[in-house]
Amino acid sequence: MGEVIVVTSGKGGVGKTTTTANLGAGLASLNNRVCLIDADIGLRNLDVVMGLENRIVYDLVDVTSGNCPYKKALIKDKRFENLYLLPAAQTKDKTAVNPDQMRVLCDEMRDEYDYIIVDCPAGIEQGFRNAIAGANQAIVVTTPEVSAVRDADRIIGLLEKEDLREPKLIINRMRYHMVKHGDMMSIDDIIEILAVDLLGVVPEDELVVISTNRGEMVVINNNSKSGQAYRNIVRRIKGENVPMMDLEDSGFMKKLRRMIGLK
Amino acid sequence: MAPYWAGGNLVHFPGKGGGDPEDLADENTILVQRTLRSGQSISYDGNIVIVGDVNPGAEVVASGNVVVMGYLRGVVHAGAGGDENAAVYAYRLQPTQLRIANHITRAPDGEETGSKDPEVARVKDGIVVIEAFQFGPERQR
Repeated sequence: MGEVIVVTSGKGGVGKTTTTANLGAGLASLNNRVCLIDADIGLRNLDVVMGLENRIVYDLVDVTSGNCPYKKALIKDKRFENLYLLPAAQTKDKTAVNPDQMRVLCDEMRDEYDYIIVDCPAGIEQGFRNAIAGANQAIVVTTPEVSAVRDADRIIGLLEKEDLREPKLIINRMRYHMVKHGDMMSIDDIIEILAVDLLGVVPEDELVVISTNRGEMVVINNNSKSGQAYRNIVRRIKGENVPMMDLEDSGFMKKLRRMIGLK
Repeated sequence: MAPYWAGGNLVHFPGKGGGDPEDLADENTILVQRTLRSGQSISYDGNIVIVGDVNPGAEVVASGNVVVMGYLRGVVHAGAGGDENAAVYAYRLQPTQLRIANHITRAPDGEETGSKDPEVARVKDGIVVIEAFQFGPERQR
């Protein structure tokens, strides 16, 4: 029986879709059978981020409304043999699917996949309720901003109400130098408010923007900090105990300081 | 009374050229004078002419031909009822996906296609081919 994990946040733009794509690719690269479901009907993005937009023929709404079996709608990833995407419909809206249909779909797919990751839309309305309906685990993504953390808190409350207890937290777009200067919330500040288990911290990284725009996933880039962060998160999802990365001070400045003997 | 366009008969444009103009009079065509944005879609039993762009994420479905007087970047389906004679004409033909009758095509991965000239896509010998648009109806077939 596979796990159905919903990636949610409440607030938009914190990186749910990027996280979904990277976790999916990361899990698939470790030989898991993975299917990603884009539940953001009407504002689909996951297909674009993965560079699979031009392969879409059938979508989630076709599947839930019984127009075609889900296997016919799945799109195989370009890079990973065992990574699949079930794209959202773009010309419909959230009301085209209901939570019961999602529950049935997820249950049907669980036999075939080790991990099913559902990319949740922003907000707390029907799109959110659809996305969490079939899930048995939740990952909450937030950024170190007061508004994002506030929304994450609200979402965690709603998840608990729906019996998705103990959601895991990913803090995205962390800028350590800002934390150091007291200009940004630290990991501890966020954990103190949300009081949930931390699954990982992804540093702010231009490579994420670059790879996303190209329809690639940063998790397969061995030279990026964010890719490393995603790989660590993947291993933690698999149950490994991976220590948190030291991102405090990295790269050129550290080397320079070491070179001139400051450290 | 039903509206004049509700005939719903399949059209076979482009014709052989010449012939009696009366034969062409019953073809259904709608004119869309705006840009279709992501999430918007038009489907019509007949031909569709769009004066504007079709953005990625938008969808145009016609039982006949599709003409786009602008950038065609979304998904387009001509001959949706199974008409293999249907064609897609665009000022700039860069669709996410292009379908004619029951053929589905897309641009190859990682290739920057994008001709700077008007193009036409149609089915020839069972495959979808894209050619530069030649002005003048006689040279179209």
